[in-house]
Amino acid sequence: MSTNEPTGAPLAPNQDPKAQEKPRKTRKIKTTKDVNGVPQEIEIEVEDVDGPRWGERKDLKVLNTELRRVDGPVKVTGRARYTHDVRLPGMVYARLLCCPYPSAEVTIDVQDALKLPGVEAAIVLETKTRFLGQPIAVVAGRTSDHADDALRALKVTYKPLPWAVDRAQALAEGAPNVRKNGNKGKPGQNGDRAEAEAAIAAAPAKLEATYSVPVQHHASLETHGVVIDYRGGEEATVYISTQWTFAAVGQVAELLGLKANQVTAIVEHMGGGFGSKFDLGSEGAVACRVAKELKKPVHLMLRRPDEFVMAGNRSGNRVTYKAGMNADGTLAGLVANAEKFGGLGDGSMARPPYVYSAGKTYSEVVAVYTNTDSNRAMRAPGHPQASFGMEAVLDELAYQLGLDLLEVRKANLKDKVWHRQLERVAKEIGWFEHPHRTKPGPNSGGKELGIGFGISTWGGGGSGGTECDVQLAKDGSVTVSVGTQDLGTGSRTLVTAIVAEEFGLQLGDVVARIGNSRLPSATGSGGSTTTGSLSPAVKDAAWNARNAFAEHLAPILKTEAALVRFAGGKVFSQANPNAAMTWKQACATLRDAGLNAHGKWDKDRAAALMGNGVHGAQAAKVEVDTLTGRVRVLEMVGIQDCGLPINRTAVRSQLNGGMVQSLSYALFEERVIDPVLGLALNANFEDYKLAGPSEIPKMTSIIDDDDQRSATIGMAEPAIVPGHSAIANAVHNACGARVRDLPLTPDKVLAALGRIA
Amino acid sequence: MRVLHLLINGDRVTVAAPEHWTLLEVLRYELGLTGSKQGCDKGDCGACTVLVDGKPVLACLTLAALCEERAVTTIEGLLPAHVKSGGSGPDPVQAAFDECGALQCGFCQPGMMLSARALLDRNACPTRTEIQDALAGNLCRCTGYTQIVEAVELAVAKHCGVAPRRPGSARPRGRSRPPPRRA
Ligand code: FES
Ligand code: FES
Repeated sequence: MSTNEPTGAPLAPNQDPKAQEKPRKTRKIKTTKDVNGVPQEIEIEVEDVDGPRWGERKDLKVLNTELRRVDGPVKVTGRARYTHDVRLPGMVYARLLCCPYPSAEVTIDVQDALKLPGVEAAIVLETKTRFLGQPIAVVAGRTSDHADDALRALKVTYKPLPWAVDRAQALAEGAPNVRKNGNKGKPGQNGDRAEAEAAIAAAPAKLEATYSVPVQHHASLETHGVVIDYRGGEEATVYISTQWTFAAVGQVAELLGLKANQVTAIVEHMGGGFGSKFDLGSEGAVACRVAKELKKPVHLMLRRPDEFVMAGNRSGNRVTYKAGMNADGTLAGLVANAEKFGGLGDGSMARPPYVYSAGKTYSEVVAVYTNTDSNRAMRAPGHPQASFGMEAVLDELAYQLGLDLLEVRKANLKDKVWHRQLERVAKEIGWFEHPHRTKPGPNSGGKELGIGFGISTWGGGGSGGTECDVQLAKDGSVTVSVGTQDLGTGSRTLVTAIVAEEFGLQLGDVVARIGNSRLPSATGSGGSTTTGSLSPAVKDAAWNARNAFAEHLAPILKTEAALVRFAGGKVFSQANPNAAMTWKQACATLRDAGLNAHGKWDKDRAAALMGNGVHGAQAAKVEVDTLTGRVRVLEMVGIQDCGLPINRTAVRSQLNGGMVQSLSYALFEERVIDPVLGLALNANFEDYKLAGPSEIPKMTSIIDDDDQRSATIGMAEPAIVPGHSAIANAVHNACGARVRDLPLTPDKVLAALGRIA
Repeated sequence: MRVLHLLINGDRVTVAAPEHWTLLEVLRYELGLTGSKQGCDKGDCGACTVLVDGKPVLACLTLAALCEERAVTTIEGLLPAHVKSGGSGPDPVQAAFDECGALQCGFCQPGMMLSARALLDRNACPTRTEIQDALAGNLCRCTGYTQIVEAVELAVAKHCGVAPRRPGSARPRGRSRPPPRRA
């Protein structure tokens, strides 16, 4: 995915819409207008545009409003069909056996399992494993029960091999080689270390400290999985819970020995991905193998414990910062040594310093490998990890100098958008009345209130590869078709809204067909690029359809195409608004086949429609019980710019969801593996704790409407970046407990307060 | 195998299933009622929540055989039940979830809405804290719960005839003033 892994913290462009504006060109059209039944010659000035534009915000009727999701009704009534819900005749249910050890030699006898009634397949997948949770066998049965019986009947012997599951084991003398070339990747270096060290040494306030975040799971409520409908013959259908409808097609075709044009992928609805569901995955490949063998539809959804060990994660990391601050609050220098723990993968970490300017800087980032599954992209990969230490360093140094935490942030931010956003969240959360703005509150033995801040950035943007069809039928119905997927983020509503806006219709007048590889192609949903890739293509198709329809209607309305207007469910000439046709009447003039138009993401035309670079700021207010170490988040405030919001309700939902995910990261989430036994200790929702409805604080999510860019920008990533940093800082602010290792469990808070060892 | 006589969404159904099957398995794998979701199959996520005799239960932990002759309501049955009892369209909880955008992927919604329905059946005008407590067993990874709680509050407000709070202006948990209880 193109923008999944930004290597640093790009300074987001300013929100000034003038930067993208082109001079307006207009031309005059001579026409006649009926005045009291008498035709009169008039001149009307129309804008000459060379491509689609969103238009002025004040004129928008659908976009930038609070829309109901078009998939709301099917979802609230339980009719929405997810991959897990697909039922086909003769379908078998497959289950994986995942290796419980980080590395082992495995022997599996499948004979007993195969003898059981209802069991259709038992296949050994692997005899030597490299990561905890690696699939080693697959079984399939007529019901899920038969599959479970088969799993139990497998005779498996494990010979555990030496492993490394954590940093200490991976870096120990004589550690087993996790990857061929050892347990450390090639470090990425930036800046001049000596220069940075010198700047730090000369600064009046200095700090050296290590900050770490644990491995986090995506924890989508629907696990990974597929249903492969292959019954022999020349075609197959794959139902898949994926972030990219089209990715699986080629892979499935290859595995089944078919051609891409013989395979259809369907993603009607999917239960969340957050970056973890891009391709067919090993589970999908295994399902193909079973389907090929049995020539029957195969249902393979990961069970929750398997999901935890083999379906990806956000890499943990550990960063040692050395930093110095000048008396005015500006950072003089910063040195960061970061390690990323992405299992067999490279992990992710946005290059320090995160967003803030930090004077003379040097950073070194290196991957440390372990025998656990590879990390995958997860909502703003690398950014939350980089934010955590950076925001903490600022606070710790500010306290040394007795400076205001808000002012210190502003002193290190060139882009004034963040200044304004920080001021706003500070005001909302009550910073200016807060007693501890320059030093932490007391370790009193009672409950203390604290406030903390964090900021975020992301790119967004979009790329080519998305095409779209818009069809107007003779009966007035409108269909927009594009093969994109809706992860829950609202892309189905987005495409509907854009077309409705174009024709002055309501959301309900347009039907969106998405989530099928037979529809026009679309890119994957990663790195908040869906909006930037999808919306220009849909707009392009809608604009083409509008122009074609205007051409068709011009003679009927006795006007020029440039004067045909669509508004409020009516069609009319700008010269004679009173002689309007209803939308239905207008469509009834079409030929039987209706009107079809096509559009696509074109670099030049898209440039006027989509944007890139966002800013966000969040503040958290917590209550720390200094006697028990318990932290309760009382309030979170977030502000986010996003160019032109398509659906304000959806944007707010993204903000709320992102902030609560980061609250969960701050207080609860952590993958735990016993290094001695090599076992996953919390591969379920009972022991891997997610924030639930009881933990949510008062939430204020603000769409930054000072951003007047007439461009759409994806919104998924930035909301998750700074919340946990703000919460950890708020805990420090409340009572002086600086916990440098997430999650902020009571024991760590008490240790930081010196109440326990 | 055992023949089970169940009462699902007002319909009497007879179905043969293994004795040890859970209600969730019977619903999803025998009856094709896939609205109840299998999020963890272990009682941790709440996605499988259904009503048995009006009480919310986790279908993944409930033996189907123990539900014979008891009224089971799944998400598929909420709208028909509302219509049958004289309402029009979806249950007010469903309507409010739709209206508030209280969903993204929607995988958690069926369980959420049934937990909410059970709450409103026993307490027509709950406080925010009571709402949060009633939903405490339902996980959602997408929405951050805020709009979900707002949706339940909207359903409550419509029922009790008071205006809902504006989105985003919620008071902190534990401080909300309880609205007047109905007798
Ligand atoms: S599936 Fe029943 S609680 Fe998760
Ligand atoms: S909407 Fe996706 S889990 Fe709740």
